[in-house]
Amino acid sequence: MTEGTLATIGLAILQAAGMLALAPLLRGLIKKMKATLQTRQGPPLLQVYFDLAKLLRKESVRSETASWLYVAGPRMYFATAVAATTLVPVWMAAAPLEAAGGVLALVGILALGRFFLATAALDTGSPFGGMGASREMTIAALAEPALMLGLFTVALSAGSLNLGALVRGLLDRGATFHPSDILALAGLFIVVVAETGRVPVDNPATHLELTMIHEAMVLEYAGPDLALVEWASAVKELLYLTLLADLFAPIGIATAATPVLLLQAVPIWAAKIFLLAVAVTLVESTNAKLRLFRVPDLMAVSLGLGFLALAIRFL
Amino acid sequence: MSAVASTAAERLGLRDGVIREVRSGELVIDAGAADLPALADAAVAKLGARLLSIFATDERAAHGRFTVQHVWWLPELRTLLRASAGVDPAEPSFPSIATRHPSANWFEREVMDLFGLSPQGHPNPGRVALHDDWPEGVFALRKDFADDTTVGRVAGDLHPFRPVSGEGVFQMPVGPVHAGVIEPGHFRFGVAGEPVLYLQMRLFYVHKGTEKRFERLPWRHGLFLAESISGDTAVGHALAYAHAIERLASIEVPPRARSLRVILLELERLYNHVADIGALATDVAFTVPASQAQSLREGLVRLHQRLFGTRLLRGTVALGGVKTDLADAGRRALQAHLTSLEPEFDHLITSLIDAGTFTDRVDATGVLTHQAARDLGIVGVAARASHVDGDLRRDLPHDAYEGLQFDVPLEDGGDVRARLMVRAREVEQSFRILRQVLDTLPATALCASMPADLPAASSALGWVEAWRGPVLHYVATDERGRLTRVKINDPSFLNWPGVIQAVPGNIVPDFPVINKSFNLSYSGNDR
Repeated sequence: MTEGTLATIGLAILQAAGMLALAPLLRGLIKKMKATLQTRQGPPLLQVYFDLAKLLRKESVRSETASWLYVAGPRMYFATAVAATTLVPVWMAAAPLEAAGGVLALVGILALGRFFLATAALDTGSPFGGMGASREMTIAALAEPALMLGLFTVALSAGSLNLGALVRGLLDRGATFHPSDILALAGLFIVVVAETGRVPVDNPATHLELTMIHEAMVLEYAGPDLALVEWASAVKELLYLTLLADLFAPIGIATAATPVLLLQAVPIWAAKIFLLAVAVTLVESTNAKLRLFRVPDLMAVSLGLGFLALAIRFL
Repeated sequence: MSAVASTAAERLGLRDGVIREVRSGELVIDAGAADLPALADAAVAKLGARLLSIFATDERAAHGRFTVQHVWWLPELRTLLRASAGVDPAEPSFPSIATRHPSANWFEREVMDLFGLSPQGHPNPGRVALHDDWPEGVFALRKDFADDTTVGRVAGDLHPFRPVSGEGVFQMPVGPVHAGVIEPGHFRFGVAGEPVLYLQMRLFYVHKGTEKRFERLPWRHGLFLAESISGDTAVGHALAYAHAIERLASIEVPPRARSLRVILLELERLYNHVADIGALATDVAFTVPASQAQSLREGLVRLHQRLFGTRLLRGTVALGGVKTDLADAGRRALQAHLTSLEPEFDHLITSLIDAGTFTDRVDATGVLTHQAARDLGIVGVAARASHVDGDLRRDLPHDAYEGLQFDVPLEDGGDVRARLMVRAREVEQSFRILRQVLDTLPATALCASMPADLPAASSALGWVEAWRGPVLHYVATDERGRLTRVKINDPSFLNWPGVIQAVPGNIVPDFPVINKSFNLSYSGNDR
């Protein structure tokens, strides 16, 4: 094994560990900001960590009728979320494992995790699992093309489908700005809201099992199984926001792996994520959840924005 | 012979004198069981009667018979009519009216479950109150069933739910245990994907034998039990029980107590309506208005705590009056609270109906048509949202409602929004009522003194328009003046079938908001 490979693996592990460590904080932050807007005190910022620690200590209660799929679901979901973090530039203008794949690999890996979770949801035979899985896949089928269109639009201007190269390309281009970026950003933001199960698409805070999408899928899970699902969802959310920051405001990201540049890049990244979290919070607090049958309309808007962005790119 | 009794007899085509007015607002007719259906048809056709209750009594010890009783509300004559018919224990059945009057459906089946009297000609004579594991032939409200009897569970046939067929059509079982902290009820959806084809429900998971419990309680203690029939209607049920006892004992409640009772009832309406409006926002994840409503509701219950020492107004009603006075300082505090609450409540409603994402969720969702509401005998908020007029505060005034100026808001839509708007407009009317009562609070005693004993072998009805709808209690005493039968009617019992009608055609994820817009009590229904 060459030194370069070792360094790559080391970087990948560091980046994945960093994302795993910080993701619950983002969830806690959004909860806190939502509570503030409702003039509530809300749970402590670190509550999501406490919840994960509690769940990891508990035993996993599993249905007697469940097969290996049920056990594999959360693990695959977690593994794919962690793997996805290594394909995205977070603090450096290079993804640790960018040689392994680009935009398509990222979308594919996340889809794989979703596939396993949805299959596992069907496994117990509970009506909610099936309902949640069907709803999640319906929305995913519309969100994934929209995600790809948005990513392609930006990739076109940067000249690469590889996320590391893409970010470097955007940095080289400098501060020039193309109108298609706005459309792509709007389209991708809708995708992110849908993919992270936020209002107006889904409600992460509801107790009403009949209205749930993502939560209905994982309603059967308990203990460490549930912790894996929750943690992976948090990582995915942080990853999506990081992706938005990479694609539309890459300025400030470290262009080389020097301590000085990295020390500058991390707070700048944190500030971008914070702003995006504020945006998510505002959307969640000013909208009621859409009627389920209206969600496809919203996703169609996202898809339309993606098409327009792509078309304008060629003008 | 009273004029209203004669009019009723004449309109029903009966001999003069058959109908007696036992107290104001309470007509009684002793009919043969076989005459009940014809009487029901005539009452509905000629007097626009609405069914409020059907119940049975076990009078085998005293008179060697059961009775089956229909309680009709005659809005035109501004009175209730109780039709009572004896049933021979040797032939324990009575003619059903459910085919022509669907609101009788559950009532008659409950009589069957708890008294063992079978409704002849009932279109669906299955169990409604009893579950599958209750043995055949054990009837809990009969007098020979001691209330400390332990009844063993039996295997029993599983409740037959209506089958569904078709490609991609499924039955989806939900509950009785739900993901949130709510009362238990089982809902069985027939679904084709998300659209609901039909809904069936199984309730009575929280049947506590409350009516049976009354029969062992001293009548003065019954008040505490009445308060806990449905926790959100503590004043409503306590007042209905108190009214029945006071009418039975011919007690005149002092004017100040009557006014204070109006205040208590309207405060109960206020905090529940405000909470329900917030709950509708919660159910569609509209978090900011939901929190606003919660804080308004909290402000109200804290005010109750300050004024009466109780957040949910328990322990405020007394037999013969009220337990707590409202001093001058309290009166001013309440007036000041109303003044500040009114614009805040206005703002809450505006922020809801001005939000497109919110109105899109509640418009045309869960429509209960006017015809369905009429046929099913839906009452209260749910009825008024489907433009079925009626409010006992105006139509059969109790306490100090006679002479107060207020409107009974009606809506046409029958959807979730209509039920929301009825609540919103009723809140405005409650402000109006409270201001009038607070301005003219009479200075009299708080409580009439009650006699040592209730009259023997007599019975009375007590009613209240509580926040959810009419609450009706029937109280009967034995030959020693002890409670021998108390029948509790919570509006939830009449309105659950409305939910069943309102849901089909909607999609599964809209069920919670439809259900919440009715917000029926499981505890009050199951008792």
